[in-house]
Amino acid sequence: MSIKKDHEVIIIGAGPTALTAAIYTTREDIETLLFERGAIGGLAAVTDHIDNYPGFADGVDGLVLSDQMRKQAERFGAVIELGEVTKIDAGKSSVKLETTSGDVTAKALLIATGSDYKKVGVPGEKEFFARGVHYCATCDGAFYRDKRLVVVGGGNSAVQEAVFLTRFATHIDLLVRGDHFRASDVLQEELKKHKDKITVHMNTTTDEIVGQDNKVVKVIGTDKLTGKKVDFPTDGVFVFVGLMPNTQFLKGSGIELDEIGFIKTDENLMTKLKGVFAAGDVRHGATMQIASATGEGATVALRIREYMEGHKVINE
Amino acid sequence: MVKNITIFTTNTCAYCVMVKKYLSSKGFGYEEVNLDRNPERQQEAQTLSGVLTVPVTVVTKEDDSQEVIVGFNLGRLAPAVS
Repeated sequence: MSIKKDHEVIIIGAGPTALTAAIYTTREDIETLLFERGAIGGLAAVTDHIDNYPGFADGVDGLVLSDQMRKQAERFGAVIELGEVTKIDAGKSSVKLETTSGDVTAKALLIATGSDYKKVGVPGEKEFFARGVHYCATCDGAFYRDKRLVVVGGGNSAVQEAVFLTRFATHIDLLVRGDHFRASDVLQEELKKHKDKITVHMNTTTDEIVGQDNKVVKVIGTDKLTGKKVDFPTDGVFVFVGLMPNTQFLKGSGIELDEIGFIKTDENLMTKLKGVFAAGDVRHGATMQIASATGEGATVALRIREYMEGHKVINE
Repeated sequence: MVKNITIFTTNTCAYCVMVKKYLSSKGFGYEEVNLDRNPERQQEAQTLSGVLTVPVTVVTKEDDSQEVIVGFNLGRLAPAVS
């Protein structure tokens, strides 16, 4: 499988930042190719319902919002290639990329690969991955009809996905490590509406996921206030304990990352490499909000245009 | 040569959309088994894949051999239908 080799702008990722940037660049007649290895829309696409994105008075399903963004970008000529970028090499006048669809070049590159859900890092998590331990409620929740579940986390994703999972599960134990939720007040109010099905355990660590006969049977946690171990019998575990940036493929590229792996940029959202920009959830300092992501997508597209004009690389 | 393709999906699964989109872009037809509408076929998906997740794509070749691909995994899906 091969595609056209030389491009004006290449965007790695097709989440809200990437699609917004593509809307802006393509409307300026800047030819733009996006690479997506997962879901178009990124984590927004696997979020059941989005209530805080402006313009949708009743909220919007993540899949619907993502599809609308995709259609809007494609309407202006953006092309989305389903493939993966494995290596980037920034030269003086262009950036070379090795991809699963062949080698390509771009006059400017935007890295908008976003983030993925972090692992909790306990025994049993890896062993039972996709066989009782999950990170996508909208993908895997349907396998837990009339079952018990544990959800780990206290942020927006954990609370939102716990509420989503009530449509399948008979009961959910929500394990929160801290003494308060990081989730928004609105989501916490929503959580209270489901107290018949969701039991919240604050100050509770998740220590081990235990299986028997190839199935998850319980989570062992610790009540931090008493120091006592607590068993939570369950058929499955959904983990939402924060995000980690998708930057593994950038190792050795020369792009500066912070200690977690988020990309450092200057005020123009450009990385250490000339012509290579980063924006959205993958960037150091990101707020992990879809509205912020689209805003950054617009900003970085304008910065890319300025860069290209400054270097007279549009339609050379 | 591909004889037929079956995809196990759910209503809310974004990666299922991607598998369908990819196969359509390559001109392949497929049978979709939506587990929200057909929960009785959940065990079938689980038995084929060994996991509790969707999408599960089953590519049956002309010689009736089958390849089962879990998730939106282009590294496996593309060669399976090539």
